[in-house]
Amino acid sequence: MSGNGDSTSRRALVALGRDPLAVTGGVVLVLLVVAGLAGSWLAPAGINEVNVDRMLQPPSWAHPFGTDEIGRDVLSRVLVAARVSLEVGAVSVGIALLVGVTLGLFAGYYQGWLDNILMRCMDVLFAFPVLLLAVAIVAVLGPGLRTAMVAIGVVYTPIFARVTRAGVLSVREQVFVRAAVATGASDLRIMRRHVLPNIAAPLIVQTSLSLAFAILSEAALSFLGLGVPPPEPAWGRMLYDGRGFVTEAWWLGFFPGAAIFLTVLAFNLVGDALRDVLDPRQLTVSEARRHAG
Amino acid sequence: MTRFLLRRLLQSGIVLLGVTLVVFLLLQLVPGDPVRVALGTRFDPETYEALRSRAGLDQPLPVQYASYVGQALTGDLGVSFRSGRPVTAIVLERLPATLSLAITAVVFALLVAFPLGVLSALRSGSVFDHAARVFSQFGVSVPDFWMGIMGILLFAGVLGWFPPSGYVALTEDPVGWASHVFLPAVTIGLVTASILTRFIRSSVLEVLAEDYVRTAEAKGLPTRVVVVRHVLRNALIPVVTVVAVQLASLLGGVIVIEVLFAWPGVGRLTYDAVQARDYPVLQGAILLVAALFLLVNLLVDLLYARLDPRIRVR
Amino acid sequence: MSSKRFRGAGVALALTFGLLAGCSAGEGVAVDGGQTGAGGILTAAISGEPDQLDPHHTSAYPSFQVLENVYDTLVEPDANLAMKPALATEWTTSDDQLTWTFTIREEVTFSDGSPLTAEDVVYSYNRIIDEELNAAYRFATVESVTAPDPGTVVVQLTAPTPNLLASLGGFKGMAIVKKSNVESGAAKTEPIGSGPFAVSSYRAGDSTKLVRNDNYWGTKPKLDGVTFTFVQDPTVALQNLRGGEVQWTDNLPPQQVSALRADDDLVVRSAASSDYWYLALNQARKPYDDVNVRRAIAFALDRAAITKAAKFGLATVNQTAIPKDSAYYYDYTPYQQDLAQAKKLLAEAGGTDLTMDLMVTNEYPETVTAAQVIAAQLKEIGITVKIRTLDFAQWLDEQGKGNFDSFMLGWLGNIDPDEFYYAQHHSAGTFNFHGYRNPAVDNLLDQARTETDQAARKQQYEQAAKQIVDDASYLYLYNPDVVQGWSPQVSGYEVRADRAIRFRDVDLAQ
Repeated sequence: MSGNGDSTSRRALVALGRDPLAVTGGVVLVLLVVAGLAGSWLAPAGINEVNVDRMLQPPSWAHPFGTDEIGRDVLSRVLVAARVSLEVGAVSVGIALLVGVTLGLFAGYYQGWLDNILMRCMDVLFAFPVLLLAVAIVAVLGPGLRTAMVAIGVVYTPIFARVTRAGVLSVREQVFVRAAVATGASDLRIMRRHVLPNIAAPLIVQTSLSLAFAILSEAALSFLGLGVPPPEPAWGRMLYDGRGFVTEAWWLGFFPGAAIFLTVLAFNLVGDALRDVLDPRQLTVSEARRHAG
Repeated sequence: MTRFLLRRLLQSGIVLLGVTLVVFLLLQLVPGDPVRVALGTRFDPETYEALRSRAGLDQPLPVQYASYVGQALTGDLGVSFRSGRPVTAIVLERLPATLSLAITAVVFALLVAFPLGVLSALRSGSVFDHAARVFSQFGVSVPDFWMGIMGILLFAGVLGWFPPSGYVALTEDPVGWASHVFLPAVTIGLVTASILTRFIRSSVLEVLAEDYVRTAEAKGLPTRVVVVRHVLRNALIPVVTVVAVQLASLLGGVIVIEVLFAWPGVGRLTYDAVQARDYPVLQGAILLVAALFLLVNLLVDLLYARLDPRIRVR
Repeated sequence: MSSKRFRGAGVALALTFGLLAGCSAGEGVAVDGGQTGAGGILTAAISGEPDQLDPHHTSAYPSFQVLENVYDTLVEPDANLAMKPALATEWTTSDDQLTWTFTIREEVTFSDGSPLTAEDVVYSYNRIIDEELNAAYRFATVESVTAPDPGTVVVQLTAPTPNLLASLGGFKGMAIVKKSNVESGAAKTEPIGSGPFAVSSYRAGDSTKLVRNDNYWGTKPKLDGVTFTFVQDPTVALQNLRGGEVQWTDNLPPQQVSALRADDDLVVRSAASSDYWYLALNQARKPYDDVNVRRAIAFALDRAAITKAAKFGLATVNQTAIPKDSAYYYDYTPYQQDLAQAKKLLAEAGGTDLTMDLMVTNEYPETVTAAQVIAAQLKEIGITVKIRTLDFAQWLDEQGKGNFDSFMLGWLGNIDPDEFYYAQHHSAGTFNFHGYRNPAVDNLLDQARTETDQAARKQQYEQAAKQIVDDASYLYLYNPDVVQGWSPQVSGYEVRADRAIRFRDVDLAQ
């Protein structure tokens, strides 16, 4: 009857194990998390070890990714920056998930005017290109790590609201929900116990894909100088700082960008594999508008 | 049809009103006094007062909002805090650059995605199909600004084929425009192409599974005829939506790409407005983009309803 | 009042660089360059876009780059920044130093052909004073400006002001404007001046075009016109210069400059500017009120390394404010990096495990870069630096409120020593946000301000400078170079220490 989270995640894991691309993505993700947790320990040099006598040195044994415009070791900074990316991704998608699912749940469950109001609000947010809205929010709140998280969280909220609502609408009319209503269970309890677990699959897929887009958005914000402030290393910011030097120092542009690419790719691979298994027909709204901005 | 049209129009109107509210509230959320913040080092009391009253900031909120919407309806989006020029003119003069870039990028994307998507669907499971899927996975994951930097390094730096950035108006010098538009358009186009490839592929696959296609094949029609006459015609209907949505988003100006390539479009304008704390320009640019986005979506829905009568019933 | 502070800051940083392109004011009438004659049209790539072209209202450096060639001032700095006649041919000073009488050059006209007289000078100065515009502070000691006859301007002072000429002619923010042009608002986009060139078109986001002013009172410019284009990316500016699309730029990639100097296809020249960049510690906060803590930090800094990172060596390390080429340069270098000494001073002051907030701004990326080097250096003596990167407006706000442990910024475009020291280090100085108080320095600065004997004045400023450095009021870091490059076709151009770019004597070989 009412499906539960356990079986969903078990199915997902099994599916991932069978798909070589998903396994690759998964391995990259594990490496990323390791870098995120132990980056400063793994890094061969301190992230803020400035040394003007070794400015803009090309990759070498001592500095496999070269050095930046003030002589810092690029490899170390790329490693440590993994944490920022994962953090921003996790927190912002967390915000979008929490707010979006709550709104979508209420809209889909109660329908009527509440549904109308909530979803029209989501439509409004949806009318803005992702990055444009994020940039506007940053412009208003002032740049910084926290603002970036909030901004990205806000722009991805409507997607979760829509996915949730669509799920709720289909689950709502099913027998087990009606039965629960008949037993006089409270609305909140029904939503939590019966509705949510049954729409977990599309949400998991959406979360994985959104993490990819959120990390991309953070990188874009940082690339515009509107994200993580220095000296904290962040991939997008490293590209921003290195922009004036890439013609002489390709490694300043290459490595941080490659790190973003691999991370996003890993989340996308895992997300796609999950979708193939869990929710093959889900319309990935976010995909259609991802680099809008 | 008329009812559908009316409902869609009404809906878009409501959303647009919501958009104006969000855009209007942006200015209220600025911590402190937005005019003071905007003026910064250029502060002088005269300009300050003039801008403040011009922006209507000395009035109660609902009045401000009503007059903002009222003026927006007549095409008046206020004046720039920075230059004192009308926002509408500032935003509109950036449109040609953005339009020419967006259209070029989408055309390029279609040229790539169409054959790729159709062929990989027709030869589903083949090596070609796998390659196309790898390409599209690559395309949706690669940060466009990074690809842009790499493109500049290779094509402008090493090979010297194209200028690294800059803009020449199409109307002034078509050749100059073409050489400048190439790198940014390809950068955006590749990302768009990989999204489109996926959609075209799955759309074609879906149609291939439909009964009438099987019937046509059973009738012994040549594959090419079946593909062209039945599969493509039907498969392309949903693709039109995606292309339009892509185009609509690009019309908002791809901020990072416009900044990276110094392309003086709407995205770049937005970025500059953020840097200069020029809130009226920021508001105007966002409003225009969102309105365009809604308009394109509306048009697509109407077009869609014409192409596929089933939609109207929904 | 905070409004004063903002206004003042606008002046102090009159020459703000890198203001981003965006919206500018209006379209001018495009005058076709049709008559491309002997001199031709020079295209100059500048990194930012003018925000507007009213010289009294703008504070953006790109605007002044254009306006330098469009407007005149009463006097103007020569190559060594000494004041020379411009619209005024001569001047006399009364015995009590309170009345200055300027003789206005005869037969000067604005570019539209209308005459420029003493009345225009009076109007321009009173506009700045009455409307409290950016440059109003330069008239602090001015009681009145009058025109007894069309050829004479009398400036009446409340106190002797030896640096009056530098105030009146230091930059084009003191330009003589035409009343009707200003009052109609046209000056924002179609300014009318008396300078060697006139604005013919002003296109937002693209370019500003100048044509030769055939009514110019001085030697007629050889060029038919100058076109300013805006190129933000230095790599692109360089490429445009190489490709011949532009013939002049001040936006060269700093890290390539030393290599470019050896390049025969380009001319790259630099001059030490009169700008300086510094670190200030908030003396209203503990432990920075302790001179030993400040001196410890001064001893911990490796200025050469900071300069190398921030400017790729395109700057001269300095421990005082005034650059080497100035007549007021004072050679005094008590601080060489000495970590042992720094640690000792810090320990004596009881400052261990210090965490210092360092406020910098995106508006000036070199402060962000330098801050990271400073942080690394101070770590060596056990000070943890927390870098705070703010928008400039926010930055100024925090500075005004005193919400900082330390900040890094520069002063741009100063000429007279009074401009270098008074507002910053006098206890009543408008820009003394870091709370420096030293009665001896106050005395010296007050004296020097009205001292008319040049030798005595120089000596007073040297004493003040020594005390300021010893007290580590500002920790001076470097004077940046002005670096500009042009095509070998260009002749007659010279790089100036005040960053003014003048094309009036330039010729362009075809």
